[in-house]
Amino acid sequence: MTTGAFVKILDGNTFVVSDANGDIDASLTDATGLFSFDTRYLSKWLLTIDGQRLNALSTDDLNYFEARFFLVPGTGTVYVDAKLSVIRQRAVGDGFHEELTLLNHNEKPVELTVRFDAASDFADLFEVKDALAKKGTYSTVVDHGELVLGYQRETFSRATRISSSVPAKVDEQGLTFKLRIEPHGEWKTNIDVVTAGLVASGAVESRTRYARNGGHGRSSMEENLERWLGTAPRIQCSWDPLRATYRRSLVDLAALRFSPPIAGGKSLPAAGLPWFMTMFGRDSIFTSLQALPFKPELAAATIQTLGSWQGTRVDDFRDEDPGRILHELRYGELPAFEERPHSPYFGSADATPLYVVLLDEYERWTGDTKLVREFEHEARAALNWIDQYADLMGNGYIWYQRRNEETGLENQCWKDSWDSISYRDGRIPSFPRATCEIQGYAYDAKVRGARLARLVWKDAALADRLEREAAELKRRFNRDFWVESDEYFALALDTEGKQVDALSSNIGHLLWSGIVDTSKAKAVARHLMGPRLFSGWGVRTLAAGEGRYNPIGYHVGTVWPFDCSFIAWGLRRYGFKEEAARIAAGILDAAEFFDGRLPEAFGGYERSVTRYPVEYPTACSPQAWSTGAPLLLLRTMLGLEPIGDNLVVDPTLPAGLGYLELLDIPGRWGRIDAFGRERVEAEPPTGLRRQLGSTPAPRSSRQRARRRT
Amino acid sequence: MMSDTVAASDAATAFFEERGRRGRESLLAKGRGTVCVELTNGTETQPWLVTIDRGDVKVLQGTGHADCTLRTSRELFEQIVTGEVNAVAAILRGAIGITGNWQLLVLFQRLFPGPPKTSAATADTGATGSSG
Repeated sequence: MTTGAFVKILDGNTFVVSDANGDIDASLTDATGLFSFDTRYLSKWLLTIDGQRLNALSTDDLNYFEARFFLVPGTGTVYVDAKLSVIRQRAVGDGFHEELTLLNHNEKPVELTVRFDAASDFADLFEVKDALAKKGTYSTVVDHGELVLGYQRETFSRATRISSSVPAKVDEQGLTFKLRIEPHGEWKTNIDVVTAGLVASGAVESRTRYARNGGHGRSSMEENLERWLGTAPRIQCSWDPLRATYRRSLVDLAALRFSPPIAGGKSLPAAGLPWFMTMFGRDSIFTSLQALPFKPELAAATIQTLGSWQGTRVDDFRDEDPGRILHELRYGELPAFEERPHSPYFGSADATPLYVVLLDEYERWTGDTKLVREFEHEARAALNWIDQYADLMGNGYIWYQRRNEETGLENQCWKDSWDSISYRDGRIPSFPRATCEIQGYAYDAKVRGARLARLVWKDAALADRLEREAAELKRRFNRDFWVESDEYFALALDTEGKQVDALSSNIGHLLWSGIVDTSKAKAVARHLMGPRLFSGWGVRTLAAGEGRYNPIGYHVGTVWPFDCSFIAWGLRRYGFKEEAARIAAGILDAAEFFDGRLPEAFGGYERSVTRYPVEYPTACSPQAWSTGAPLLLLRTMLGLEPIGDNLVVDPTLPAGLGYLELLDIPGRWGRIDAFGRERVEAEPPTGLRRQLGSTPAPRSSRQRARRRT
Repeated sequence: MMSDTVAASDAATAFFEERGRRGRESLLAKGRGTVCVELTNGTETQPWLVTIDRGDVKVLQGTGHADCTLRTSRELFEQIVTGEVNAVAAILRGAIGITGNWQLLVLFQRLFPGPPKTSAATADTGATGSSG
């Protein structure tokens, strides 16, 4: 994964960020290094030959977990043929493994001094972001030919052990090799950098997966990736970029899998690479929902892991309540010393109802009632949280206000930046706040909870109560949030019960949740597809014309692929198939500009003005829920819906897709194929290139579902 | 929660005895296995075995087979069972040694109370949901 000059490789939450030479030379605020469990284990890793740094000829990302650097000494000018080639092949495991190969192209033997300089600042990820000073002590020890870098603060201890297959002269700053290579000969050594810590005191044993003599160490991870791709549904369609985007999404989703020690070997989606390779309630749930028709096992792992970590007590520092689903878990020094609340932190108002939504949607696809029974207690506790702990104003809505005022999160909805929730005139409401989409999730959680109560938990009284509460919530919501004058739902309610009346993409999530009165749905869809919200690529987070609208403002005007994928699902839910297809067309078109890897967000500029989607610069790529967006859009375009034990297929495809076939969709039916051919005109041609949805074609519609045995 | 009449130095014993008396704990309905808590005090080690079987909890003082072992000072453990110290943070900083099954550990830590000085409105620790 190459971003600019940086090369990133990773496995789970261990990752290496280096320059194009493979070198690391980090300052405290600089985000390069070897990281594991939110701690930097190497901040310096410099290769020199005869005292000189090398020059990169090329860098290959072989896979998300390995990279190869071709280097030469000297100036790197093309006018002088190098007589020496240097190849660093690096694979990340629990730490990393580096195979260094030197090739002598000369007719004469050469004698060389090869040196790796190594050091670590053991910075916590939060320190790298905020440039904080360390409170512990460092050590450097040479131990039986190994270099051991250590850090200790009270009982908190982390260490990096560096060793090589060819004996090196080891000093406290690194490893030196004195060597001679015969004419046209080669020299090779394997280096292991092993992280130890979170648990030198007994927990996670860390040993690099790549045995020194194994050299490549690729097999198990490569096989794992191939198996992952091989068991996913296959796609066939006449529009090549969609096939590429689909494959990119699956590969990135594989890279985003994360198996924390408490997950019992199961993998759930982390939030983003590389800084958010950890459990996030909201992101893991949304991504699992997007991936359900393709990789239902992600949802199962998310349900199990988030359920096990569910809140059980009242803790203001962590914003924890009984029944609440966590927001984020971190393993570094600052959470360990309670200087940050992420052990875990619970400040999210939407993850808890969404947990119930995921549990139900998972059962609808897989028929796995065993898991639903197993997590009955957690689902009930989550439903209970909605009424017992989240209704801060006592009026039947979910409100949020952090109790940890120092390091807690202010905005506990997905639009978590400080200015994301505003009135039309740009004013910002006080706390607590009740944003509209969270009420939708709560409604959906009650409806789905009722279904599970009846079907699996055999508790008709609970089901009746939840249905009654859901109907009541829907009635109230359609009254209190509806902006009568312009016919849309307000972004939030303020503490006085007044509408925070900006027009936003959140109304699309309301369609997805089903809380919208049928009589109001058409007006909502009209706003979503209207010029103030729809950019031509997707739906803006905040409508053009609002006080805080800014086409490159993080949550106040940019277009988020994840957001759009749920909006498309919502449009389908209320029967707006062609509108959903237009959004799918815009986002999938945009994906092509990014080689199939959708960014977290792109600018809200009018498509006809910029002609290409302007990427919003963020540190993380890929982001899990952007990676999941094309998957959910495939579902919405094909109109896939589990009904009873069958998968219903009801395709509405944008023009330009021609036909679309998804083969071997897993679910309670075994494996089923879905096929669609249709046309929806998405956008008039802009002249840049042929765009999805832009080719007028005679209207035709076909659908088919084939059961595989 | 332990009884207020128990002296602070016996908070750990009170915690285990209370668990044993309660017998049933819906928070542990999924759990199956034995957690050993080794409390160290200078050179002395006092082990407690907590056996969880689908929510039924049995407590024994002594050693035996365990699926997950926590080793920590008696002093720190008493701070944990009175809510003064957060167990997960203590694990992250290496103040509690863990061997064995982490999933069981995640369930077991549900039994520890929240901090004593917390928002008055909803300080009913342990009451999650209505299921049993």
